[in-house]
Amino acid sequence: MEAKEPKKFIVPIGPQHPALKEPGHFEFSVDGEIVTGASIRLGYVHRGIEKGTEQRNWIQNIYLLERVCGICSHVHAMAYTLGVEKLAGVTAPPRAQAIRELVAELERIHSHMLWLGVAAHEGGFDTLFMYSWRDREVVMDLLESLTGNRVHYSTNVLGGVKIDVTPELADTIRKGCDFLEERLQHYLRVVTTDETFLARTRGVGPMTLEQAELLGAVGPTARASGVTRDIRIDAPYASYAEFPVTVVTDNGGDLTARFVVRIKELFESCRVIRQILDNMPESELVAKVPRRIPAGETISRVEAPRGELFYYIKSGGGDRPERVKSRTPSLCNWSTISTVAVGHKLADMPMLLAGIDPCFSCNDRMIQIRRKGHEDQLWTWEQLRRYGIEYYR
Amino acid sequence: MNTEELLQQAEELLKPWAKEVSRPEDNRLDVRIEREDLLAAVDALILKAHRGYLAAITGLDHPEDEQVELVYTFPDMAALVNLRVSVPYADAQVPTLCDLIPSATLYERELMEMFGVTVVGTPDPARLLLSDDWPEGVYPLRKSFTGFDQLETESES
Repeated sequence: MEAKEPKKFIVPIGPQHPALKEPGHFEFSVDGEIVTGASIRLGYVHRGIEKGTEQRNWIQNIYLLERVCGICSHVHAMAYTLGVEKLAGVTAPPRAQAIRELVAELERIHSHMLWLGVAAHEGGFDTLFMYSWRDREVVMDLLESLTGNRVHYSTNVLGGVKIDVTPELADTIRKGCDFLEERLQHYLRVVTTDETFLARTRGVGPMTLEQAELLGAVGPTARASGVTRDIRIDAPYASYAEFPVTVVTDNGGDLTARFVVRIKELFESCRVIRQILDNMPESELVAKVPRRIPAGETISRVEAPRGELFYYIKSGGGDRPERVKSRTPSLCNWSTISTVAVGHKLADMPMLLAGIDPCFSCNDRMIQIRRKGHEDQLWTWEQLRRYGIEYYR
Repeated sequence: MNTEELLQQAEELLKPWAKEVSRPEDNRLDVRIEREDLLAAVDALILKAHRGYLAAITGLDHPEDEQVELVYTFPDMAALVNLRVSVPYADAQVPTLCDLIPSATLYERELMEMFGVTVVGTPDPARLLLSDDWPEGVYPLRKSFTGFDQLETESES
């Protein structure tokens, strides 16, 4: 008999599906329960932001680009403002740079804790999900009291930042970090010792150092395979030269290692946050930047919670950019999935997908209440929180 | 090695194919090459010398020259090496990098749909980001694209 091309059974998952809260389409070809190949289709939330930047001026673009992501909003605005400042030949004052790093590290804590919860949920460990999200509220509150916002912090302006850290705020942040560190120690113990959970992560999705480099993995996903690459150390920006962090790597290469690396990174974040607060430089917060940016092009890279964030910015000398390109870390890490997935059970896919920490969207919320015939009522955070507790009682 | 040494080494490695070399920023080396030499240059820089990794492929539209310029960025620590290749609208093709760097596939798919540059030999030429009903031959990141005519979209629906 003639040899026939073996038929493939394809399981389509998404764009709306139970595994991820973000739309993405995956086609897994399977042999029984074992995955033999995977392909990806993205773009369900593509909003044409790169094109949009060409129609907006340099300042409007800060706010547009901050909305690329609802989790790591600060890093987008920071990468963009650092790039534009470089084109304009302006350096933000030292205090502004320190505050940029401070917010970036707080953002990393919130992002990794969000991920910890999501990944635990995908692994069927909902208790860990709920506890880690409860504790994540501590850092969300810190970010809100520092910047006024939970999601889009709007910290950056061209030439600096628009928020300052008072001594009282610094104390609140220190206390928050103490609490978070204690909880993170506990979570580190849980993810490395809980046998049921380890059964879902140990040896799952292994990626060697060579594979990680070949597939272009970035951030904690790459560092969990032993790649020592971190823009904060390789090419320090903002105040990372004055307040350096140490790179955290693990040689495990599996899902357990990705948990360990992310949690350990947060101890490093807490340490550097304290160091910044204790040695906050005294200076202005903003340097003057011209409305028209001199012609030229530059590349700005920062380490987002998920890895290297790349911005290419080109100015034609006008009041709006010629071209802005943004390459987010999730895009790099997607390409690891199609290789790493092969040979695993279909049931491991949600965990594997969550393991690279793909970017989800968050929602903002309102604190101003308008009613006809009544005066506008502005609620404080405490009032809103109490209202929420009462409402659900 | 510091940034300066890294850039000098990269310049040396890329010399055989360089048509034009410039140092627009302290940490950046721009090398203009012909598209025929792209694979050889990447092979020498990345696979043979292990200098950096592919961070992004940036497309730039130049309607005045009827060209699309592609910027392949390879960072190595703080040093950045840009390989710049220009292709005319009439013959918008480049060879794929996927045989050398498998992770280039997503970047190449994005490039094809956004700028209308055909990447010859790329393993998966399907759309990555644009929707299924996006018209053929419309490339949103070209300067000539300024949005769909309101009337046109209304009459279609």
